[in-house]
Amino acid sequence: MKINRRKVLSILGISPAILAGSTAVAGEKKKKPAAALSTGFKIEAVNPKGMPPPIQLIPMAPRLSSLDGKTIYLVSDGFAGADRFLAQIAIWFQKNMPSVKTIYRLKAGSYFDDDPKLMAEMKANGNAMIMAYGH
Amino acid sequence: MGLPTAPLVTIAFVGLAKSNAASRGMPDERICFLPHPMTDKTDAEMYQVLLGNDPVTNKPLMPEIIDALTKPLTADEQKSGLVTPDIGPATYVDTAENLQRIYLDNNMTDFMPIILPTEEKVQAMLKGTSHKPDEVVGTLSAAKGAQPSWTFTVRHVAINAVMAGALPEHLPTILAISATGQPALFSSTSSFSRILLLNGPISDKIKMNYGIGAMGPFAEPNAVIGRAWTILSKNLGGCGMPGLSYMGTLGSNLNYNNVCIAETENKLPDGWQPFHVQKGFKPTDSVVSIFNGWSLNNVAWFPNMPYHELINNWLTHFFSFGTSAATLLLDPTVAREAKSKGFNSKEELSDYWSKNSKTPAWLYWDTHQKELEQAKAGVEPYASYLKMGDADIPFQRFYRRGRPGGPPVANPKSSIEIIVLGGETNTYWAGGDFSHVTSVPIDKWA
Repeated sequence: MKINRRKVLSILGISPAILAGSTAVAGEKKKKPAAALSTGFKIEAVNPKGMPPPIQLIPMAPRLSSLDGKTIYLVSDGFAGADRFLAQIAIWFQKNMPSVKTIYRLKAGSYFDDDPKLMAEMKANGNAMIMAYGH
Repeated sequence: MGLPTAPLVTIAFVGLAKSNAASRGMPDERICFLPHPMTDKTDAEMYQVLLGNDPVTNKPLMPEIIDALTKPLTADEQKSGLVTPDIGPATYVDTAENLQRIYLDNNMTDFMPIILPTEEKVQAMLKGTSHKPDEVVGTLSAAKGAQPSWTFTVRHVAINAVMAGALPEHLPTILAISATGQPALFSSTSSFSRILLLNGPISDKIKMNYGIGAMGPFAEPNAVIGRAWTILSKNLGGCGMPGLSYMGTLGSNLNYNNVCIAETENKLPDGWQPFHVQKGFKPTDSVVSIFNGWSLNNVAWFPNMPYHELINNWLTHFFSFGTSAATLLLDPTVAREAKSKGFNSKEELSDYWSKNSKTPAWLYWDTHQKELEQAKAGVEPYASYLKMGDADIPFQRFYRRGRPGGPPVANPKSSIEIIVLGGETNTYWAGGDFSHVTSVPIDKWA
């Protein structure tokens, strides 16, 4: 499946294709309608979009050199099925990378919510996390 | 957080997951994708998924997960700093026909023709409020906490009101709706829809239709106010982008207009209060109320029993997502009949339904698995319920009992709302799974 990066950007308020076939007049709000062309009168309409929040880029956490002997938390966000799928991942590690220790946890709250207590536990005792969203 | 992470998401949520990661500052987060759905798979089938490929990258899944945790970071993945999203130019200049296409192709409309928001029209619209154009009205998000919250001003709302075909006299109501921070288009997979209810002097002032065809396309304010909410939700909150900020699998036709209605206050039976008065406002206040739900059932049926009994039976057998809230929309003829049977207020009728409606056995057990286990172990009253077979269970669904898992509510109130509207051409009524979200005053935005 091909990812449509333009669509991904557009949820952030970015409209890369928005100028197709049009003339953008950034910053001008009171320009009179342009002169008639062979295709008809041109008019000026304003952008209806509100103000999306600025995005603070966050550097990703440094990666591990390998998983040997490491502890990986398997975290479910609570949607149906995530717990069972993570259990299969634990089995896979037991069979294929037995030096990896896995710990299962259910994140508190809805999938919207942070779980600071769990995050602190993982930071103290874990080396990595695999998080599964249900459906 | 500081821990290398491999998020796993099913393929139905590719756009949502990537856009969410980007809006939270990690546009290159190493998300691994799974087939969809996963919930119906057996454990053995899930294990086979692990042995297969990521359906997006077509690479073996488990090595990809391990790579996500161990492969050194690229320069892009280590970037920091602040990015200001680009929302496009301040204005667009083209022919009217081309502009319609530009707004449509960029998901800034409801895919029906719009009134092009020229500066002249926006200025005329702004005359509908005393508030300054640059005053911040509030924030809007497709799902607060999960999707970005956009900020917007009075001018932004006015632009979108123009696009929907609204008049300046409609702007205070549209501003009041916007200020709630409630989107018309919620991101859920369950295809939420909304009801907008107007009460008080505003209804006659702007000529809302609450007579014949009160829920249909028969009056300008009903049409354009409801439409404006959908359009502004897209442009002022980033809502309604399928696969990114909207995931409703079937969608809802009600989203075009959000069932924008007004209560027929002048035909309420004696003692029955208008909806906004029930919620603590004065009769002279102009108020808009928002309801959240999924569907409406317009019932045409001539019973041999009183309507309150018919509707009670409908409530027993009606079910929907959540199953515990309902809103009844009664023609004034039905309301008067209920009054004649002794229901002297909406509250009395609502309480009657909450106390007397039951739950079909299959629905009760399907939603009470823990109680089913207790029933099998002989715990009462569940054991007696189980002995009833297919008969309706005397479990009253329509109460506000609080969130599942939360503290029980001491004196739960009925969760059934009643609205009276319609043209009295027949004894019809509609019911649905809507619950009241909020009621807000309109006049402060005049």
